[in-house]
Parts: sequence; structure tokens; C-alpha cells
Amino acid sequence: MKTGLVVVAVLISAGSAMAQMPPCTAVPGWTQRGEARRFDADNLFEYMDGNAEGYFLYHFVGMKGISCQSGDTTLNIDISEFEDTEFAYGMFTSTRDPRLATEKIGVTGQVTQRKGVFTKDKYYVEISANPEKDHSATLRAFLSIIEKNIQGRTTLPDAFGWFPTENLTPDSIRLVPESVLGLRLLKSGYIAQYQAGKAFLVRESSPEAAAQVFAKLRERFGQIAPAKIADEAFTANDKYLSGLCVFRKGNFVGGLANLPEGRSGVAETEKLAASVK
Amino acid sequence: MEHKSSRRNFLAAAGLALPTVALASIGKAQQTPKLGPPSSGGFSYRVLGKTGLKVTSVGFGCMITSDQSVIERAADIGITYFDSARSYQNGNNERMVGAALKAKRNSITLSTKTGAKTKEEALKHIDTSLTELGTDHVDIWYLHGKGKPEELTDELLEAQQMAKKAGKTRFVGVSTHSGQPELFPAVIQKMPHFDVILTSYNFTMDPKMDEVIASAVKQGIGIVGMKVMAGGFRRAKPGDKQTEILKREGAMLAALKWVLKNKNVGTTIPSITDNEQLEENLKAMSVPFSDADQKILMAQLEYISPLYCRMCGSCSGQCPKGLPVSDMLRYVSYSEGYGQFQLARESFLSLAPEIRDVRCNDCVSCPIHCPNGVRVTERLQTAQELLA
Repeated sequence: MKTGLVVVAVLISAGSAMAQMPPCTAVPGWTQRGEARRFDADNLFEYMDGNAEGYFLYHFVGMKGISCQSGDTTLNIDISEFEDTEFAYGMFTSTRDPRLATEKIGVTGQVTQRKGVFTKDKYYVEISANPEKDHSATLRAFLSIIEKNIQGRTTLPDAFGWFPTENLTPDSIRLVPESVLGLRLLKSGYIAQYQAGKAFLVRESSPEAAAQVFAKLRERFGQIAPAKIADEAFTANDKYLSGLCVFRKGNFVGGLANLPEGRSGVAETEKLAASVK
Repeated sequence: MEHKSSRRNFLAAAGLALPTVALASIGKAQQTPKLGPPSSGGFSYRVLGKTGLKVTSVGFGCMITSDQSVIERAADIGITYFDSARSYQNGNNERMVGAALKAKRNSITLSTKTGAKTKEEALKHIDTSLTELGTDHVDIWYLHGKGKPEELTDELLEAQQMAKKAGKTRFVGVSTHSGQPELFPAVIQKMPHFDVILTSYNFTMDPKMDEVIASAVKQGIGIVGMKVMAGGFRRAKPGDKQTEILKREGAMLAALKWVLKNKNVGTTIPSITDNEQLEENLKAMSVPFSDADQKILMAQLEYISPLYCRMCGSCSGQCPKGLPVSDMLRYVSYSEGYGQFQLARESFLSLAPEIRDVRCNDCVSCPIHCPNGVRVTERLQTAQELLA
């Protein structure tokens, strides 16, 4: 009967996402096509093949989906639940087109001709439309209904307020769920693109843990020059990450990478460190 | 085939279940490698079928790479095969890959994929892919995720031919995650259209997969292996002791080395997240598959076996009440694995009434023992509870 319990557990885990799913008929003229879909981390792979890996990266919990039809148009609606609001936001940032504007749907969203996505609380919602034509009005109608069904946080993660806005590329802040800057020791954190370089911010569990990470980074980059920023800091150069300026403040490790030659990044890094709470 | 490897042979060589104590010692033996300067030497190269493309046997699956610097570094080190797809992160992935490889474009093999259903959509996809990748051509353009022969439609093949003729791709292929025994013959039947097959291939698969791959290689088709880590170790549940051990350094490398034992595989595209994983994967080209690797993979198989039916058919005819066991397990997987409850129920209801009425609880014991360790009775009971 253990299997039965597992099945029940799966149903419960997907249940919260399920509760947010409106019927297709919520928008006049639409009806449901086929059965509802339900997945968890064990079987998402069967739904979307390798693309599932992209969800697992962000600590995917479960997904509920339906397909709706009106005439020859089909919508695939999927509501995914993640472990927390930041991971849901991270999933959104990995799939939105950074070149296009976002709009206020839930925390934030984006609608193109055939795709609508948004994040709210610990949910990431994606609707795709077929065939090819401008479905943006329909997408917005469904997104609006789903957004109202989801309760919870509608504000951006706190980290947003910590990145100085001067020279910040709009909508460029994103959550990297693993290996920030491609370095495993920087487990998870935020990246923001600036005109000159890329800012990063990683939160460790304690100042001691952050100090350990900082020491390993110093070792990793070999020849460094100490800098006076926050608790400790250095500048360095790396073949692939170019110029770097790294600081530690309490349980945060952050800094700037990919700085152009001849630019230390100390002034910009000081601003970032100062805003970290 | 230079070397015939199979899961069955591997199991036989590895013995039966691996005790937990042994698992723990395997875990402890793995040391986190320190990231040093780029590795040099130790690369192995293979030719990708009739394309003549000479590629490193370990390539780079870019789908979940955390930073473009990892891709740049891999190309600098000497990895020569990189793979993306139109659908990865809604196109963001192709843009990152293109930016990372722009300085190396002429010295690497670059592939991408389209999940388009029509010729028009596919042709739009290749143009978008080229723009995002920042190149005027890719080396291989795959039809993405085909599992049935009928999905290889004439119009998609025509789109591939048009792209090839226009110089937008040098070679064309198809990627597949399932249904290889049916799909491969269909691909062969359409020769000389296809140049490459990108296929799931790992230590959990039926030994017949080796024959399927060999049949394609015989026709000159290049084989690229993916899902070499058997769906990755990311599906692991946090806090699961055995899984935590398997996730440590070494388990993924063992899985990759297992794939490379098959010389019919031209290259592989393990997903590489960071520099440390890149370094680890490189070892697969220089360190041979060992007994320790066998034990690690055995442990992973043991972990996934209770639920994972490989459709080998060994249970056929074993149920005294006549249950078509593998069919019923498949129906459960329709529901639990694919979310297709309706299909699962319809399939179950298509069984003869006397079969549908059988309840495993009524039997005192069950004579069916799955050679792959699937908990058959539990799975059959699930089918009866869910679908009857």
C-alpha cells in the first residue's frame, strides 16, 4: 500500500497548483481539450523531455496543466509550483525574453504573440498558443484570471532593491539557481547586468560560511589585490570572467565580474556592498 | 561494433544488490576536485558517421549551463561539440551559446533543434536560431524530440532539405527520447535523408538499444548520446541518504563512461552546469570504466528499479490469473508518468472483463519476479486501484 500513499502524496503535492487552475470556460468560447495534466519532479521529464532539467534547477515541486480549445486555436496552460517565491521568480527570469518589456502580472510577467508567462508567490504560469498568429489578447485574458486565483506575494525579491540602478540594464536581474558565474562554490544567487560588467550577490547561511566561500574564491583566483570594501574584498583577473571585484559583507558574498580591462570596479562594488542589508 | 556493452552484461558483472555500507564507502572515496587550469591532453575523438565530423567523444549539452564563461572555457580547453535547442529557455539558451562561441565558431561543431510541427514553422525556427546563435549556419539541425515514425513528416523533412540546400545547416538529424526500436528503422528507411540521430542512451536502457544503435551506424548515421546520466541525478529527493551518495562526484562520471564504452556512439552531450562538472566530465575521455563505476551505477539502478519498467517482457505469461503484466505497468506509467489518466483508464478498460476484475490482493503470493527489480505486485495493485 506504500505505492498508494505515494500516489496520494503526489496528488496532494500537486493539489495546491491545481487549486489555481481555472476551467477553460472561464473565458467565453473556450472548452477543455483532453484530460488535465499533473506532474511532479519524478515524471515531469515524461512531459517535456530534457526541458524538465531547466525546471529542476529551480527546485520544481509540481505542475498542473490543461489544454483549452476554441476553433483551431489551442492553448496549453501550465501552472508550476516551486519551493519558494525566489525560485518561481528565477524560473520566470530564465524563460522570459530579456530584450522585451515585462508587465505587471502577479510579481511580473511577459506576453508575446504566442506565449504568456508570469510569476506570483511560488508559482510560475506559462501559456502557449497555437497556431502561429497574434494571441496576445486571449493570453492576457487567461493570465488575468489565473493571476486572480493565486494568493500570495506580488512583490519582487528583496535582492532587487540591493542592486544600484545606475547603469543597470533594465530587467536584467535574474536568479542563478546553481553555480553563479559558473563556479560551484557560489551556490546560488542573483546576477544583474551593467553597462560595464555583471554584478553578483550570493547569500550564505552565516558570516562564517560566507568567509569560507570568500577565502576559497581568493584561492581560486590566485593573484589578487586586496581592496577596502565592507568586511573584506579583493580585485583579480580571470581569463574567462575578466576583471573582478569581490567583497564579503556579513553573510553575503558579491561583486562585479566581466569588467573591461583597466577598470577595477571598486567604486561600483562599494555601492553594491553598501546597499546590501 | 568495437565493444558491445549492455545493461544486462553490466549487471551480471556487477553482481546483485550493493549493500548500503558499500555505498557509503563509495561516497566517501569521492573527493571534490579542485578547479585547476584547463586540462590538457586526454581527449578522445570520434567521427560522427557519414558526416565525417571529427568530434570529442564528450561534448557539451548547454541547456542548463549557469554562465557563458563555462562554455567559453570548454571550447578553449578543446571540447568540439556543443548542443542547444530553439526551445531551451524560450530561446535565451541559443543566445548565450552564440555569445560564448562566437570566437570559436569555425573550430567547433554546433547543433540546435526545432520542435516545429510544420514546414513553415521549422523554416522560421532555423532562421531565428541562426540569428540567436550569431552564425550563418549550424552544423547539425535536429527535429526535436520525435518518438514515433509518423512524426517524421514529409514537410519537416522537406524543411530540413531546404535548410541544407540554403546552407543554413550542413547536416540534418532527429532527436529522440523514447520509442527508439520503432523510430530508428523509420529513420533508416528515409536514408539518405538523415545524417545524425541524437538519442537517449544510458545504463538503465534495455540491452536491445545497443543493437538499435548498431543498425543505424551500419547505415552511416552518426550517433550522439544524450540523457547519458539516465535523467540526471537531479530527480533525487533531498534528504535521501542513498541518493545523496549517488549525487557525489563520480556517479555522473561513471554513467558517462558507461556510454562511451559503446564505440558506436560518436559523441555525448551531458548537461554541464559549471566548471567543476566540465572538469569531471573530461575525465570520461581518459579514465576507463572500472569496477567502482559498475558499483555506483548498480546502486543507482537499485534506486530507480522498483518503479521503472523497461518493458523487457520477462514477466510475460507468469501471472496465474492471466494478467498482461507489462501492459498494465505501462498503463500505470501513462497515468503517473505521462499524466494521461484518461489514456491509462481507456487502455485498462480495453482489457477483457475477467482480467479487469482480477485483484492482486486476492492472491496469497505472487510468482512474478521482475529481473530489473520492479515491485510488480505493488504496481499492479496501483493499476487496479486507479484504473478499474
